[in-house]
Amino acid sequence: MHKNLKRYFPVFALPTCAAFAMAFLIPFVMGIYLSFTKFTTVTNAQWVGVQNYITAFTADNNFINALWFTVKFTVVSVISVNVIAFFLAMLLTRPMKGTNLFRSVFFMPNLIGGIVLGYIWNLLINGILSYYGVDITYSAKYGFWGLVVMMNWQLIGYMMVIYIAGIQNIPGDLMEAASIDGAGPVKTLFKITIPMVMPSITICTFLTLTNSFKLFDQNLALTAGAPGRQTQMLALDIYNTFYGKIGWQGVGQAKAVVFFIIVAVIAFLQLYLTGKKEVEQ
Amino acid sequence: MTKTKQKGLRALKFLFLLLLAILFLVPILLVFMNSFKSKFYIIGSPFSLPNSETFAGIENYIKGLSSSGFFAAFGRSVFITVFSVLLIVVCTAMTAWFIVRVKGKFTKLLYYLFVFSMIVPFQMVMFTMTYIVNAISFNNPIGIVFVYLGFGAGLSVFMLTGFIKSVPLEIEEAATIDGCNPLQTFFLVVFPILKPTAITVAILNAMWIWNDYLLPYLILGTGQKTVPVAIQIAMQGAYGSVDWGGFMAMLVLAIIPIIVFYISCQKYIIKGVVAGAVKG
Amino acid sequence: MASITLKNIKKTYDAKHTVIENLNLEIKDKEFMILVGPSGCGKSTTLRMIAGLEEISGGELLIGDRVVNDVAPKDRDIAMVFQSYALYPHMSVYKNMAFALKRKHEKQEEIDRKVHAAAKVLELEEYLNRKPRALSGGQRQRVALGRAMVRQPSVFLLDEPLSNLDAKLRAEMRTQLKKLHQDLQTTFVYVTHDQTEAMTMADRIVVMKDGVIQQVDTPQNLYNHPSNQFVAGFIGTPQMNFIDAKLAAESGRYFVCFDAYRIPLPDRMVKARDLADYTGQTVVLGVRPEDFHGEAEYRLKTQRNLIHLPVDQAEMMGAEIYLYGEIGKTPVVAKIPSAEPVAAGDTAALALDMQAAHLFDKRTGDAITD
Repeated sequence: MHKNLKRYFPVFALPTCAAFAMAFLIPFVMGIYLSFTKFTTVTNAQWVGVQNYITAFTADNNFINALWFTVKFTVVSVISVNVIAFFLAMLLTRPMKGTNLFRSVFFMPNLIGGIVLGYIWNLLINGILSYYGVDITYSAKYGFWGLVVMMNWQLIGYMMVIYIAGIQNIPGDLMEAASIDGAGPVKTLFKITIPMVMPSITICTFLTLTNSFKLFDQNLALTAGAPGRQTQMLALDIYNTFYGKIGWQGVGQAKAVVFFIIVAVIAFLQLYLTGKKEVEQ
Repeated sequence: MTKTKQKGLRALKFLFLLLLAILFLVPILLVFMNSFKSKFYIIGSPFSLPNSETFAGIENYIKGLSSSGFFAAFGRSVFITVFSVLLIVVCTAMTAWFIVRVKGKFTKLLYYLFVFSMIVPFQMVMFTMTYIVNAISFNNPIGIVFVYLGFGAGLSVFMLTGFIKSVPLEIEEAATIDGCNPLQTFFLVVFPILKPTAITVAILNAMWIWNDYLLPYLILGTGQKTVPVAIQIAMQGAYGSVDWGGFMAMLVLAIIPIIVFYISCQKYIIKGVVAGAVKG
Repeated sequence: MASITLKNIKKTYDAKHTVIENLNLEIKDKEFMILVGPSGCGKSTTLRMIAGLEEISGGELLIGDRVVNDVAPKDRDIAMVFQSYALYPHMSVYKNMAFALKRKHEKQEEIDRKVHAAAKVLELEEYLNRKPRALSGGQRQRVALGRAMVRQPSVFLLDEPLSNLDAKLRAEMRTQLKKLHQDLQTTFVYVTHDQTEAMTMADRIVVMKDGVIQQVDTPQNLYNHPSNQFVAGFIGTPQMNFIDAKLAAESGRYFVCFDAYRIPLPDRMVKARDLADYTGQTVVLGVRPEDFHGEAEYRLKTQRNLIHLPVDQAEMMGAEIYLYGEIGKTPVVAKIPSAEPVAAGDTAALALDMQAAHLFDKRTGDAITD
């Protein structure tokens, strides 16, 4: 039967494989190659070795600044989103009047796309700041915290749902045993709840981590990097390098490769950590 | 004593959550509200309610939208989303089944390539991908459906193979004995069993494609806008002379399908998104 | 109308891993043939090759007079019942049963008639609209049978169909399957690892090990005349006892000697074969637990075959009692009527029924005497 099925490759796998090759595989391989060349239209690529990588880090501070801004933003977002989401999950785990409604409301922003989300918050934040006679592009500080608040608004509900699932998976008798042993609520939280939902914490941490790190649409819509390039994150910087300056495509591609490597390292770290956790259980 | 204390605590908790829920809804309500205000009264005072002077009725929706070609963009977004999702679900399910049931080095490699593609950020391939798509003239609303198939394949194949591995082989063998060829086995037996995971895959892809900005912007450009592209262009391309009224109306119309979709199949969505997160 | 012939059948995976080297078997028309053996012995592979689910690496497979090596499963005129039943979970019982007929584009009224006929026989009529998950294990099992029956195949292939049922239901289904076979008048090929199933249902049994057929025979013959030590140990519970013994000859009489015992061989064994080759060598004496006798009159009759078993453990089974102990260093089980007053710690005097005992070649395991 397997041999039989093998002959059906053109029907079953070819469409996906062809689309995959066109959209991802070939562009990926070409991208790696082009990062070592100078080009404007792909066809006129000239080998320049690692020059693009050197230029990316040394020609101006844009890439380093974007990297630093992205890291700061990611750290603050990961912590704030997860702490608040976990707290809300604790509040909403036990059934109560309106629990489902609350969950639905908190989760909803996650479904709204980055561009729309960015402009909604653009309106809101500028509306508030207008009372002080400024707007979000006035200072990088506004842009930074605007992005953080927006990220929280978008991701808290999502992470909360994952935490709720994690908390509900804790066996009830474990909680009962703890209360029989005389553990107070704080002790129960730190000795039982948090260790038991460790898998959820890992998932949520990495989910917020990669989401924050790769942020593009929201960044573009909320500040577009203003003032200057001070609130420009990595993805946006790469985009601007590609399409902003003619002749810099190679540098843009080199930056993209660096970006990819960072994201890949994060992903493997997660794989490693979750893999280890599963063994322990 | 403790009972009243507990009751008080619970009321406090409820009040806190209620407040937070309102806070969560404010940004969306704000956009809704402003979409009914005349365009000059939005940017200056977004928090004021519409009154007799500032109320514009549905003028924004009519004028602002028709002039910017938003309705065409809306239709295009619906077309691309619906057909991309259909294509992704059917094609990746077939591919996932093929990968699971034809064991070999080739299918293993294929699987790892799909998984690998999940961790590669879009910026890594955007330039070269745009070049290829243009070169083979796939830069139109039909071609982009195949581009989405290529980009959606990673997560979808990954999730579906995970599920197919749990489908007992004996069921498919029974189908073979009952006279099915591989295509019939897949569509009459395997695919119906896959339905729950297929729904999850469909939801995840639908949310992503409907909201996606950069990919359609790069491939279709400003000539064939989708909803997110239209919104971004309305803002960026206006150079200060933004029609805020029309813009608010656009935002509302971009959100409404999502909210309708969310309310109508909330259970599936939350379950699907969480499943996607846990597996991805 | 369908006998099955396997001629020099070979099965290898990836051209290196050989599961079945050279298998020859003839299954007669309307026979209830059971393939039995430990897991990994190739019995399921053999069945799946007959079904067409596994490719045949070499040799010829005939169903009736037709070579079917390259015939698709659906064209082999067979039906199969799987261990997990393999019902289509998204279809009702009716649709499950009608599925194969629909694929053959039979007329709707014809399908209807056949499905209802099978449902009636299997007492499934009231469940026709249910989904498999709303059925009990036994009902699912019957649906799986029904799905095979409606196709009216000339061969039924059954792969461990009862192993997912609980003990009571399994015993019931054994009787039902046997009856079904008689009613349908078709060939049944049945795979199981459970020798009880094989013994109770089969016309003939194939005992397999490591891809090689050990013996093909009726249940009666397998029990009474196992062709080697493996078959002897596989058929019957508790397992046959195997005791290493030395074969001695003295003035034309033969004895088996082990521990402190020296027991004469009955004429039956001596006549069956020239034992001179084995004289002075170690052979394996095989004695079934039920061939030890604790009854007083039996002991009197066969005094020379008396064995004293120190009982470590006595298991009360109801009508019988199992005695566990050691003779020399060899663990031995005896099964005697529970009326006998024996308890753990006692030494039981047991008569050995040598008429039913077996001798095996120590090296090859083949039976020396019939």
